[in-house]
Formats: sequence, C-alpha cells, structure tokens
Amino acid sequence: MPKHPRVPEALRRDAVRPIRRAVLACFVLALAAALPARAGDAPPEFRVIAHPLLPATSVERAFVADVFLKNVTRWRNDEAARPVDQRLDADVRRRFSDSVLRRSVAAVKTYWQQRIFSGRGVPPPELESDEAVVRYVEAHPGAIGYISGAAPHGKTKVLTVTP
Amino acid sequence: MLLSRRARADEPGFHPFSLEVHGFVSQGFMLSSSNNYLTNSRRGSFELTEVGINFTKTITDDLSVGMQLFMRDLGPVGNYKPLFDWFYLDYHFRDWLGLRAGRTKLPFGLYNDQADIDAARVPVLLPQSVYPTTQRDYLLAQTGFELYGYQRLPLVGALDYRAYGGTIFIDQTTLASSAVTVKKIDVPYVVGGRLLWRAPTPLDGLSLGGSAQLLRIDLDLGLNPATSAALAQAGLVPATFDGNMKYRLPAFLWVGSLEYAAHDILLAAEYSRWHVGLDVRPPIAPDQHQTQTRWYVMGSYRAASWFSPGAYYSVLQNGVAGPNTRNKYQQDFAVTTRFDINQNWLVKLEGHYMRGTAALDPVLNSNIPLGDLSRVWAVFMAKTTAYF
Repeated sequence: MPKHPRVPEALRRDAVRPIRRAVLACFVLALAAALPARAGDAPPEFRVIAHPLLPATSVERAFVADVFLKNVTRWRNDEAARPVDQRLDADVRRRFSDSVLRRSVAAVKTYWQQRIFSGRGVPPPELESDEAVVRYVEAHPGAIGYISGAAPHGKTKVLTVTP
Repeated sequence: MLLSRRARADEPGFHPFSLEVHGFVSQGFMLSSSNNYLTNSRRGSFELTEVGINFTKTITDDLSVGMQLFMRDLGPVGNYKPLFDWFYLDYHFRDWLGLRAGRTKLPFGLYNDQADIDAARVPVLLPQSVYPTTQRDYLLAQTGFELYGYQRLPLVGALDYRAYGGTIFIDQTTLASSAVTVKKIDVPYVVGGRLLWRAPTPLDGLSLGGSAQLLRIDLDLGLNPATSAALAQAGLVPATFDGNMKYRLPAFLWVGSLEYAAHDILLAAEYSRWHVGLDVRPPIAPDQHQTQTRWYVMGSYRAASWFSPGAYYSVLQNGVAGPNTRNKYQQDFAVTTRFDINQNWLVKLEGHYMRGTAALDPVLNSNIPLGDLSRVWAVFMAKTTAYF
C-alpha cells in the first residue's frame, strides 16, 4: 500500500486557516443576520409610557419600581408621579411585575393589602386595557403606565427603562 | 362617590384623587389539644372574628386623610366593640419627609402595623413571640405624630424610616376583673422609630433594619374590700390601706429585622428584647424588672396562584432567674397553608406544635398556675377572610 506523502506542518496550517476563517465568517454572518431579525420583528414584552410633556426619556428600573410601589411620588422635575396599573390577570401586568417590580403580581397585591389596611396608602388605579392606559397617561400630567409591546402608544412618550 | 376602583378608573375623565373604600371580614376556628390558647380553644372556639372598613381620600398630591373602623372578638378580647383602628392626616413634603398626625399604626418590626391584616400574609397568626395578638391594644397604634420618609441612595439601595411620638389609648374596660377596678389608665408617652435598609440590585427584596420603642403605662387600681383585707392581714400593706394602688410599667422594646421578599418567596427573621419594669405603690412586692427574649424565623412560598404554604418557629423566653421551667418559655412550630379561592376570598389552615406555657393566660385556664399546665400541646386553626 502506497504511503501518503507527508505534508509539511507549516503547509498544513496554511491550508486549514482559510477554511477556519470561512467557517467563522459564516457563523458570525448567520448570527448577525439572526439577531437584528429577532430584535426588529418581535415586539418587546411591554413598553413603559409616560405623559408626553415629561422631560425624561429614560428611567432606571428601580425608580419605576419605587413609583409603582409609591415609595417615590415625584419625578425628578418635581412633577407628581401618577402610576397606573393594569388588571391583576393581564399578561402584560405579569410581565411588567416580574421584570420591573421583581415580584409576582400576587406578591404586589399582598403588598397593597398591607398598605391599604395599615393606612399607609392605596394602590394605583387599575385599568382594563392598553387603550385605557394610553388614554389615562395622555390625559394626566406626570402619569406613567405600561402597555403590551405591540400596542399603539398614542401621543404618550415611550420611556427606556435602564437596569 | 363610592364606586369600585376599576370601573371608575376606566371612565373617561377618571380623576386620581378619589375616595377609596376597602374592607374585610374574617371568621376563624381554634381547637387545642390541652391548654386554652387565646380563647376557650380546648372545646373548640369560634371566637376569632375580625371586621374592618376603611376610607382614604387623597385631597391633593401631598395631602391625604384616612380612617379605619375595626372590631374583633378573640376570646376575652374585643367583644365586637367597634373602634377607630387608625385615622390620620398626612402631608407629604418630599419623598424623604412626610408628616402624619392622628392615630397611626406603630412601626415595630416588619409586621406590627399589619398584624390585623389576614389577607396580607400566609399564616393565621403572626409569630406570637414578637407580635402577641393579646397585647394588640398596647402595641398596635399610637395617637400623636409621625415623621416618615424614603430615600434612595446611589448604588447602595434605599432607606425607609419612621419616627413617632404620642400616647396610646387603652380601653380600661378591657382590664377589669372581679378583684380589681381600673380607675385610670394612662400612657404618658410612647416614642420610637424604625429604620429599614432596602438592598439594591441584585439583592432586590432584601431588607435589614431595626425598631425601638420606649413607653410607660400608668395604672390606678382599686382593690375590692376582700382583697384589701387579705393583703392587710398578710402584712403586705398597712392596716389603714384604702385599696388604692398605683402601678407604673416602664418598657423599652427593640427588634432587629431581616426579610427577603422577592417574586414568590418570603423569608424573614427577627430578634427582639423587651425590658419591662414594674413599680407598685404601696410596695406590696419589690420593684421588678424583667427582660424577655423573643425571636422567630419564618418562610412562605407561593407555589401557585391559589396555594401558598409556609412555616415558622417562634420562641419567647422570659429572663427570670432560676431553672428554665415551662412557665418561662413558649416555643411554637407552626405549619400553615393559604388557599386563595379567588381575588377577594381566602381560606387558611394552620397547625401549631407548642412547648411551654409562658404566653398563656391563667384566667382562660381556670387560674391554674402556668407551671402546672401541659408543657407540650398543639393548636389547630382554620380561618376564612373576604376582602375588597
């Protein structure tokens, strides 16, 4: 049986390198193609909206949580903050609660039972739909709410929530 | 205009400054294996009832008022007598400074101001070492002023603080007995405060803090002639003793608190010391000072939207010299379940395995000395609450 000719090591590395580069380039291209498609096509789980005259364009997650739990009652420009919630069983409320408040909807409900019956405050109003939240936020200076990612936000301002 | 929050909120032109109305009705049942606990529980007792309704009105962004009517029956306590549980006017200068005037719940530990709120927790009974429900009238609310605030701190979380001063209203009819007439009861002062640190991300839900409270209770008592004569005969009081006695009970209480409440988990632990003095005139007994150690660990988990199990271990230890007999301690291991039937109605079932008798009431137990009651005993509780 004839022996294969022995390929020098340096030559073999030179031959393999372009193949590796091609595979890596394909992978990066595929990833690059996939990521914008996901970000561009799928709406976010929810959007935080505020009254259009509010100067802020982004807010910290902890600040939003404090506003919805009424630990904080004013925006940084001293405007009264008026949070508005959605129904307890709304999917968007569950997603907002888990992501921003870091508590389940049931835990937030318990929090408000504690506040209501100990005389420490009352929860934000609960509205029936994204449309009702948009109408409320448009109508009340300082208002802040959240809607499903795909829902139209009308004249409200969409806030970027930073970690 | 008393309309439901959701219906009104969806109307065009809904205004955020609305009158809020909330209420609850609770009914429970207790059964104990031996000693009577809180009620005549050995035979089974339904004397575990709570009713409350409150009204809160936000007048401006910074000004609000509120009040709650409450009545309860828990064995010999309450007897369905309605009272103003809390009422206040609240002015919110800034998030870091607000002022409340009126009768406000005392912020002692994590849960004292929520002790009546069955819907706000998993167990029927909060750990009784730190939150004794029979002492609700002394520990739940004060009439006076409170300063409060919340301050977020860059990078390190937030501080939640409250400080108060005033007096405590105690209904003297709750203290009457056949041997003693309470002529006057007065709390000349109660001052205290609570400071909680709320941890930043990624420790969201973690709170650490402490509370302290200083108060004095003054009692003017009148002994009936038979009791006065017995004391005189025993040489404890002069023969001219007219039956009038003065009690002074200064007390200093503090508690350290740790809580983790995130997503569906609640873990809590608190350690407390209560220093209580007793000064009696005429001096039928030497002045006494007692230190009680009280602590618990508790956990609960919302396993499903309708089901939350929980458990705690709670210890009360009276710091009295001598052997640690059963009447000086009470250990309570509780297992509890909460079933949320719907958004406004819940049912709870709870079992307690008890060791010791320190927190029992001799009057409920035929005046048998606490040291002679059963050392190991158990309690079963069921309770249902509707709330809105």
